[in-house]
Amino acid sequence: MVTDPGNRVIEPYVETDNSAETRKAVSDGILNIHTVTSNRFWQFAALFGIMFVLGLIGFVMRLSSGFDDKGAWGYYVALFAFLMTTSSAAPMVAIAPRIANSHWRRPISRAAEIWTLAGCLNLLIYIPLIWLLPSLENGRRSLWFYPDNNAQNMESCWVFCWGGGVPAYSPHIWATLAILGLIVLGFALLWLSILPDLAVLRDHGAGWQKKWGRKLALGWRGTSAQWNWQYHRMGVVGAFYFMMLVFVHFFISVEFLMVHVPGWIDSLYPITHAHNALQGGVATVMLTMFFLRKFGGYKDYIGLDQFWGLGKLLLALSLLWFWFWFSSFMVLWYGKKPSEQAVLELLVKGPYLYLFITIFLLVFILPWFTMIWNPVRRSVWGPPILAVSILVGTLLDRIRLYVGAWDVAEKSEMMHSMMHMEMEEVPGSIPSLGIADGFVIVGFISGSVLIFMLATRLIPAINIWERKEMLLYKAEVQFHRTKVMVMGKPR
Amino acid sequence: MQEHTQLSHKQINDDLLVDILTVPKWWLPAVAFLSLIVLTGLGAFFFMMYHGLGVTGLNRPVMWGFFIANFVFWIGISHAGIMISAILRLTQAEWRRPITRAAEVMTVFSLIAALHTPLMHVGRPWRVLYWIFPYDFSRGIWPNIRSPFVWDPSAVGTYLIASSLFVFVCLIPDLAILRDRVKNPIGKKIYAQLALGFRGTPRQWRLQIIAGILLSALVLPVFVSVHSIVSWDFAVLIGVEGWRSTIFAPYFIIGAIHSGVSAVAMLMALSVWLYGLDKYIKPDHFDAIARLLIVVATTWFFFFFLEWVYALYTLESPEIALRELQAFEWPYGPLFAIFVITSFVIPVPMWLFKRVRRSAALMFWTTILVNIGMWLERFLIVIPGLLRRTHMTFDWGTYHPSIIEILIVVETFAFVCLGMLLFAKVLPLIPLFDIKEGMVNRRLIKVGRRVIPATIREGLPHHYYQEKH
Repeated sequence: MVTDPGNRVIEPYVETDNSAETRKAVSDGILNIHTVTSNRFWQFAALFGIMFVLGLIGFVMRLSSGFDDKGAWGYYVALFAFLMTTSSAAPMVAIAPRIANSHWRRPISRAAEIWTLAGCLNLLIYIPLIWLLPSLENGRRSLWFYPDNNAQNMESCWVFCWGGGVPAYSPHIWATLAILGLIVLGFALLWLSILPDLAVLRDHGAGWQKKWGRKLALGWRGTSAQWNWQYHRMGVVGAFYFMMLVFVHFFISVEFLMVHVPGWIDSLYPITHAHNALQGGVATVMLTMFFLRKFGGYKDYIGLDQFWGLGKLLLALSLLWFWFWFSSFMVLWYGKKPSEQAVLELLVKGPYLYLFITIFLLVFILPWFTMIWNPVRRSVWGPPILAVSILVGTLLDRIRLYVGAWDVAEKSEMMHSMMHMEMEEVPGSIPSLGIADGFVIVGFISGSVLIFMLATRLIPAINIWERKEMLLYKAEVQFHRTKVMVMGKPR
Repeated sequence: MQEHTQLSHKQINDDLLVDILTVPKWWLPAVAFLSLIVLTGLGAFFFMMYHGLGVTGLNRPVMWGFFIANFVFWIGISHAGIMISAILRLTQAEWRRPITRAAEVMTVFSLIAALHTPLMHVGRPWRVLYWIFPYDFSRGIWPNIRSPFVWDPSAVGTYLIASSLFVFVCLIPDLAILRDRVKNPIGKKIYAQLALGFRGTPRQWRLQIIAGILLSALVLPVFVSVHSIVSWDFAVLIGVEGWRSTIFAPYFIIGAIHSGVSAVAMLMALSVWLYGLDKYIKPDHFDAIARLLIVVATTWFFFFFLEWVYALYTLESPEIALRELQAFEWPYGPLFAIFVITSFVIPVPMWLFKRVRRSAALMFWTTILVNIGMWLERFLIVIPGLLRRTHMTFDWGTYHPSIIEILIVVETFAFVCLGMLLFAKVLPLIPLFDIKEGMVNRRLIKVGRRVIPATIREGLPHHYYQEKH
């Protein structure tokens, strides 16, 4: 028997509304929205499809220009980094709150996971980059430290210079494996998460959706053993996805960015890049939530709680953005080493100054000064507007860094050691955006959105089983003169 | 939390105030022993002041030794208070309730301990006054605000003030209880003054809660800035290989959280053993803090890995040679191995087992290991970096800490323990009002055959949702 602090006996258990009717109402409600596709949906899908075709045209144009002029590929690599920063990072919004057992994630975890399908496009964009990445033969800096020629030149080096060197194409092999691994893990995570909902489609859907559910649900019946299996696998795959995401960003930020700028040695930057991905991922899901609520018919499912929860995360990530940036900038700026001054001249103070100021405003100042206010954070309109600001800022940031870095990539290869850059070698202007680059940027972002839209026709955009699970843990009770919500903490 | 013990307000008061209203047998000998160590350390300090810094093992080029390593260590420990209290309060983690006070108090004492060592290290600590009252305006003697050594005391001082205020605000309701229960008239008067007339009216509770939340949010940037600035003492220097790394600010902070949260776990085990608080600090609390530690330790290890990767990535021979000195040469190589093994290799795999996570004894010993490792980490950052024979160093040698340095470092450990014991004698180490609030909010939900704990959702009242939807 349970007693209250005054030693009075209180009701032993709080009653939750978990009847069969309520559970059925949840399934029916979501399936009703899922099975209906409006004309407007197809109009937008067609629009994004056309833009994606333009992107493919741009892709072919870019390929046909060849790999000799590396500077011309800057915008293309920036787009690749942007998509890795947004669509590939979005599933973290499902993974992290699920591990932390936050109930507010339930209506939005599926949307976050569906973004992983856009990873296919990232793979397509990545393929040409394999040919652009310089090998280790010219003695460039790399994560693989010492190919043969460097090992011989090192003084006072007896442990780390193992002399045998590593294969000259190690970065190419490992980066490819890492990106493939991320995509496979993303698909596995999505499939594990949709299993119970596919069974719902199999049992309650009609036509092709029923068939699709039957094929992929693999005999899911919802037994205790199946639920345990699913929980554990989701936890493990989610944890691996997170680790692989950090690993991939580590690779991208070094091999596709830092090695191209002589003298840029920033041990914090891989973490900054991974953090930018989390920020971009949260912003992507925030915007997705807004559109699903406003135009997808899910107004009753995606509420203030989700905007509030994700808004707090976005505010924290925006503050962290500044801290990470400043921690790097402070050390490089204060040291006044000529090679690092040239790096800052290239990326912050020189041709990209105004772009940097815009990014600073969009990614940090605007979210900070608006999201600290409760009325903005607790609204349906505030966080999505700031998500747009962050996404635009992140795209510009990728352009600033990658276009800048690839602009000097070719020159750096001609330099003797690729170790230092002189101030005079910093380009005076930003390379212009070509038609092919414009097509690729607009087209592939549209392509990602199109993949997401089409996937929501196959898979319910709201997680049915997580929504039903919520019924087990949520109850309303009277507390003095008001009603309050009681939330169970199962694990 | 899986375990559910509903206690009455009276029982909570009785349990948590018993060690304030009575004197445990072990308390006086423990205080006497720790006081002796502190006095010995202070004696060593005065001896050093009289004879000068020559009595230490400091030399050229190793001008920073045990004192600075110890300073960074205690700054790290001090981060636990804010980590546990402010972050867990803002994220409404229920398991924070019995451990926040001890963590906050540890912040204050470890900050004071941290401030000891650089003051002693400068040799003439009274010169600190010049920073406040420049003694000769005509010669323009002002602190150089471009130096990290000026940022440092400003940041640590701000942190000390903010964390003391934080402790005080969270203490007010408990001070009111003590005012009402203490029999000694002098003690009653002191508690009455400190309680600021708290009677538990709705308005006072509202103000107290708002102040707690605001201070939590405001103290977080201070917490981040303090260790960032401490890291810049090292990172902004371009002359010392191994120190100049952009990752130092976050690396120091995550390392501080690693050692600080470990210290809180140690404190939890000690509270259970010394004060018999097992009704309040349960295996679930150890489990929760161990899970947090797994995340923190793994993140810290990733930062450590990156720091090393980028040292090798530079392809600069002095940097490589320093790393070889740190990791492979006598006597630093064995210390390096102990550091990695104790701070990560042993504890983290152990914490993966539920039985370890839920055992006070195993958590105590594993977290002790972490802190041994983290002290060594700071030592290995400070000393080999300076020891490295670079081109412009004409005078070099090795570093052996003198007995004076050892005594002063031991004194800081004794000082923190003594401070905690004295605090626990006059004020409760577990916040009474927080525990009571947890009891009031606690509910149970039955799911199938299982009963799961539940809590009233803090923050938005329920009608807010219905109105807005």
